[in-house]
Amino acid sequence: MSALWTKTRAFVGSPAAVIVAGSMLVLVAATFATVLWPVYTMKHKPSSLWRPNRTLEDEGRLRYIANGCTYCHSQYVRPQDWGIGAERIAESGDYHQQQPHLLGSERTGPDLSQEGGEHSDDWHLAHFINPRFTRPRSLMPRFAFEGDRNIKALVAYMQSLGGKNADARVAAQKRFHAEAIAAYRKGPDENIEWLHSRVPRSWRAMPTESPVTDASVARGEKVYQDYCIGCHGPVGDGEGPAARYLEPRPVNFTTLRRHLIDRKYIGGILYYQIMNGITGTAMPYFKKDLESAKIWDVSNYLERNFIGHTDDKYPDVGIPASYEGKEAGPVTDQPAPEPPSRSVAP
Amino acid sequence: MLRDPLFVPKHTKGRPMPEGRFWEKEYSSARVWLAGGAVWMAIGTLAGLGSAIHLVAPDFFANIPWLEFGRIRQVHVNTVLFGFVVQMLIGCALYIMPRVLATKLFSEPLANLAALFFNAGVVLGDIGLMAGYTQGREYAEYIFPADVLLVIALVMVAVNMVMTLVRRNEQLLYVSSWYFAGAIVWTVFMYPLGNVMWHPATGAETGITDAIFLWFYGHNVFGLLVTPLAVGIAYYMFPRIAGAPLYSQALSIIGFWSLLLFYTHIGAHHLIQAPIPTWLKTVSIIDSFAMMLPVATVLVNQWYTARGRFGRFLTNPSAKLMLVGTIWYAIVCIQGPLQSLAVVQRVTHFNNWVVGHAHIAVLGFTGFIALGGMYYVLPYVTGRRVYSEKLINIQYWLILLGLLDFFIVLTIAGLIQGQDWLNGATVYRTVPQMKPYMTLRLAGGLMIITGAFVGVYNVLMTFRKGEPINP
Repeated sequence: MSALWTKTRAFVGSPAAVIVAGSMLVLVAATFATVLWPVYTMKHKPSSLWRPNRTLEDEGRLRYIANGCTYCHSQYVRPQDWGIGAERIAESGDYHQQQPHLLGSERTGPDLSQEGGEHSDDWHLAHFINPRFTRPRSLMPRFAFEGDRNIKALVAYMQSLGGKNADARVAAQKRFHAEAIAAYRKGPDENIEWLHSRVPRSWRAMPTESPVTDASVARGEKVYQDYCIGCHGPVGDGEGPAARYLEPRPVNFTTLRRHLIDRKYIGGILYYQIMNGITGTAMPYFKKDLESAKIWDVSNYLERNFIGHTDDKYPDVGIPASYEGKEAGPVTDQPAPEPPSRSVAP
Repeated sequence: MLRDPLFVPKHTKGRPMPEGRFWEKEYSSARVWLAGGAVWMAIGTLAGLGSAIHLVAPDFFANIPWLEFGRIRQVHVNTVLFGFVVQMLIGCALYIMPRVLATKLFSEPLANLAALFFNAGVVLGDIGLMAGYTQGREYAEYIFPADVLLVIALVMVAVNMVMTLVRRNEQLLYVSSWYFAGAIVWTVFMYPLGNVMWHPATGAETGITDAIFLWFYGHNVFGLLVTPLAVGIAYYMFPRIAGAPLYSQALSIIGFWSLLLFYTHIGAHHLIQAPIPTWLKTVSIIDSFAMMLPVATVLVNQWYTARGRFGRFLTNPSAKLMLVGTIWYAIVCIQGPLQSLAVVQRVTHFNNWVVGHAHIAVLGFTGFIALGGMYYVLPYVTGRRVYSEKLINIQYWLILLGLLDFFIVLTIAGLIQGQDWLNGATVYRTVPQMKPYMTLRLAGGLMIITGAFVGVYNVLMTFRKGEPINP
């Protein structure tokens, strides 16, 4: 033991001790400079959108952490972002009282910092049961194993993301949900009439602004399969796998045939509703996912395949895109199928 | 050059292995830590396979909670980091440390007990993660009890390292011993800090502050734990394999202190786009670039030591693994500073580019050196030749090709994602585009996993049937 003691005494003044102790000093100094000092000097105040979480939302947050959701979903929007939540760049006060932070480091799925109110509760339910029900190309795992109670908490947490901004969006969902459900319960035709009535007048009497060509319909089919098929189903009858979780249920496109505007037009309505969604129902807006041409393509697909009526032949006063006008000649050898001669409008 | 740091340790030559229980025998702890590392490598990469399958076929493990992507990904990351890399590196260090100090390890039983605590921590942590008990902070997910077990183990190793320094018979402190002692002592300080262990329930601080704590730790796990351990092992192996003295003692001193100085400042480069103070981001970017200094000094020092003698490294499988590890170190530490730049991160952040970077850092740099170090050390600590050199070579090629696949495929995938997002595509639109890359990545992963299992077999067979080396 005394030999060890001698060696210990020798060690204290030796270069080895300088290395161990000196390096610790450097580390402590660095910790002070890059952790303690910024934490001390930062403002720790809530931002304008922050609000405390409710109990159910906190429960959902714990399930979000438990399942490692943060490894695919970030929770901060950057200035260069375009997707959901791009209206609100993250501020440090948004994360007030959060413990742990859930900023995340990867976006295998979308950012969720402003998810609250972006989708309806029933959309989230179907999405948690099987994400491919509402988002056919999603890579997200199914969370049916979490059970009804936890999924409810997770949905509540989703709807809280974005704080007061989320609350405003959720309020809009609630407002239109009441109207939508009332119309839906009256019957399928009344439902369509109500949906049409919520499209601005200028969009209603508008034909498709992109000719219903075979190529356009083929592109539209791809869009339909990537975005729409989970709810509206492969034959457009509104009986996709997500439908049983949704209230009101997705529209059956074939019924639109009875509700052409002026017995002619449907393209503008389809475009408007795909673009903006139907807030208050599970129908999300797609204007961030799909550019203008893609929305026309998918509405052309719906017209030809499910509605059985195309409205691109009606003359309009506009100047067509150069490749679409009459002067451009036929775009395909096969003429588009004629719409049926007998109108079934009421 | 003070003195040739290469010496033949006298106390081990021609002496019979001391009698006693297995945990008291010389190098028994190194054996335990190395074997543990090899086994965890197989388990950890298997968890990686589970995660990779999710990204190709999301319904493959549908509704199996403990195999859900978010959980199994955490198991993968923590197991390969702590179970495999850290454990295998410490195993090598437990042999090298006493050798360069011309003494015996301070306490074999203590180091064995530390292995027990360390592995218990990894087991408990992993089971917790699969059951949904996680702190949800990257690299700091293990729950509090697992943190405690790991810290106890690290304290035991730190005591062992420092006391071995105290009892040294060699007055010249070879640079490997600095790195080993430093790595463990720093981590004992930094691990509880980054894991916010004064909040046992959440293991987190409050608000955006938590992100600053986390990424200080998150990057230091690499900078102050696995990097110094791996560099220390390479510093030991280069002169030994080359049969030449270290190129420059002065460079090794510069490399050591500049690593510590710069690496500790760069954690915030994970948060360049997040709402933290701008000056902190600036510091992190500048120091990220300053990191090229320690990296360059280390690599110049080591490669110049091998100058004219690289042939010896290519004919020796363990040296080959280690040498390739240093090449990955160069690649990862050129890529790292570049991607800390805000203008580069605009594209690379949040996508698979970073995943590729992480894999060449942990598996390429530290993993290759850990494997090379293990195969180099195994004969000395078991008294047996490695069971099969051929299997080492097979493992080398499987892991190297698998990792190259990862690096190339994930970098391409990341650039596609990043550029698409920058041009306004939503995340959902980039998801289907990832399919071919995720499939190729799965293929590379299968090669790495096969390599890991080949390694486990080789290590266990070395213990059982390795050809004994005549004393």
